[in-house]
Amino acid sequence: MTAVAGLQELFTRNLRQSGIYIAFVAIVGLFAILTNGMLLSPGNMTNIVLQYSYILILAIGMVIVIIGGHIDLSVGSVVALTGAVSAVVVIRAGQPWWVGILAALAVGLLVGAWQGFWVAYVGIPAFIVTLAGMLLFRGLTLQVLNNVSLSPFPPEYQRVAGGFLNGFLGGQGIDVFTLVIAAIAVVGYAVSQLRSRRGRIKYRQTVETMPLFVLRLVLVGAVVMAFAYQLARSRGLPIVLIILGVLVIAYTIVTTKTVFGRHVYAIGGNLSAAQLSGVKVKRINFWIFVNMGFLAAVAGVVYSSRSNGAQPAAGNMFELDAIAACFIGGASTTGGVGRVTGAMVGGLIMGVMSNGMQLMGVDQSVQQVIKGLVLLLAVAFDIFNKRRVGASR
Amino acid sequence: MTRVPLLSMRGISKHFGAVEAIAGVDLDVHAHEVVALVGDNGAGKSTLAKVISGVLSPDVGLIELDGVPVTISSPSVAHDLGIATVFQDLALCDNLDVSANLFLGREIRTAGMLDDGRMEEITRQILRDLTSRIPTARTKLSTLSAGQRQSVAIARTLIGNPRLVVLDEPTAALSVAQTAEVLTLIERLRDLGLGVILISHNMNDVRAVSDRIEVLRHGRNNGSFGATASYEAILAAITGATHYDVPAHDGWSTPR
Repeated sequence: MTAVAGLQELFTRNLRQSGIYIAFVAIVGLFAILTNGMLLSPGNMTNIVLQYSYILILAIGMVIVIIGGHIDLSVGSVVALTGAVSAVVVIRAGQPWWVGILAALAVGLLVGAWQGFWVAYVGIPAFIVTLAGMLLFRGLTLQVLNNVSLSPFPPEYQRVAGGFLNGFLGGQGIDVFTLVIAAIAVVGYAVSQLRSRRGRIKYRQTVETMPLFVLRLVLVGAVVMAFAYQLARSRGLPIVLIILGVLVIAYTIVTTKTVFGRHVYAIGGNLSAAQLSGVKVKRINFWIFVNMGFLAAVAGVVYSSRSNGAQPAAGNMFELDAIAACFIGGASTTGGVGRVTGAMVGGLIMGVMSNGMQLMGVDQSVQQVIKGLVLLLAVAFDIFNKRRVGASR
Repeated sequence: MTRVPLLSMRGISKHFGAVEAIAGVDLDVHAHEVVALVGDNGAGKSTLAKVISGVLSPDVGLIELDGVPVTISSPSVAHDLGIATVFQDLALCDNLDVSANLFLGREIRTAGMLDDGRMEEITRQILRDLTSRIPTARTKLSTLSAGQRQSVAIARTLIGNPRLVVLDEPTAALSVAQTAEVLTLIERLRDLGLGVILISHNMNDVRAVSDRIEVLRHGRNNGSFGATASYEAILAAITGATHYDVPAHDGWSTPR
């Protein structure tokens, strides 16, 4: 076996993994053309980040749930409940903004522990537990809010989802700070990729040829810098993007570098094997749901901050967007397969499509049809790939 | 010669409801020895294996390791005692690579993070010791053949330097060439100084690698044979054509 893979071999072998990145680029390109470049305008790119951040945050937790072989249908209701609790604490009780955030996070953890208990220790399938949770937490939201909306939040709270870090380092209408942060991110990405490449070579695994590797780094770097440049020309670095970035990095490490993450994959891959190997299945399942509750609470804070209030119907159908993001991003319906970065790209594909169609003035009903078909195609592609691998064995 | 056996089981019984899976079974295994456990379906072989590996607790009976009585209350206790088991339904995760499978449930950590480099190093060392044909430590299990997966399952037992390895039907569903490969691995385990308990249906496999063959029938001992015993004699004991008294604790038992 050669140690270096050519472009064609790499393309066919990794079609499943690279497929969504190619699809993402294609979709961005398509809508950029269809909207006459409006999609990529500074204001709109900022908008996409703000508009889909909470779905992406939910998708981080959801992909871990799905890798573990479960599903969570309750996250939309949890977003509503945590936002409502935060609103009651801050708006009705007049507490400072950060007390509201802490209260929301505490409620999220409690919700997660509740669902984790039923799934892990009682053994009820997550589908049922979270379906019950969907009703339960929606009902509790109405109770907490007494069926009315609460608004507005104080300005500090609104900054969570609507604030920007801008002008720390100056710049003539182009925020230097945003560019510096983006450059640091690109360098960090390049270093980590280089290290992983060295590792693969050391263990005599196939890697791309050097020019191809450099090309990939340059492409990713260019895309990130172009994105940052557009943000810098608009309002600077959104605070919510920093939150999202920190979460993505943290959970990428959790899923790939910790025992917890390894065990989540093992449980989703072969439950009985994990059990026989001494993996503490119940404990892992419990924490998967506690974690999902926590991230749903973060999303709840971001969403309530963005909508500047808490509504009884907040977060409706968010669970479906988050689940769709995971499956489009390459997670397997049977568990054991999926990546945080994949789910992020999956979520962005959904986001760019919705945003692009809105800019084009496509009817809401048509948007739903198209999004439904894309989800179906993504999972069909996954199953097709699995059959192909199975047949070639 | 009175050698203290590595594992000594006396009067082990286990019942599930009204069904007696095993009743008063005795078994000795020494280091550097492959002991085959044979018997018809439902004879209690797998139940006995699960007792040894800590998956099941016996109702009564004494288990000694190196002459010291022990209680094997869970798989992780078994692992701590140096007992490793390959279960019939291959306890492997298809979605993980070879190294991750070998270390599943006992990962090596540095500063709280998985130490994949170190785990891969040990994996390659073990694969080399077993002279097995696995491409690399980072190969995904889903891309391996059935025989290679069995090799991984056996390699898995060597993590943490065990003294006793229990193999439950390791050659079921393998091709001839793959079976030969696994049998070679079993001999390698014996050469490494381990005690091996081999549970199998296949008389050819059993007679090829075993030093001693213990027959179970209806959950009871029904004869103990040397590797040179005739195929017919073993088969007769398995099917119940001959009955044996529960053997004296050393030496062969004689037909009634």
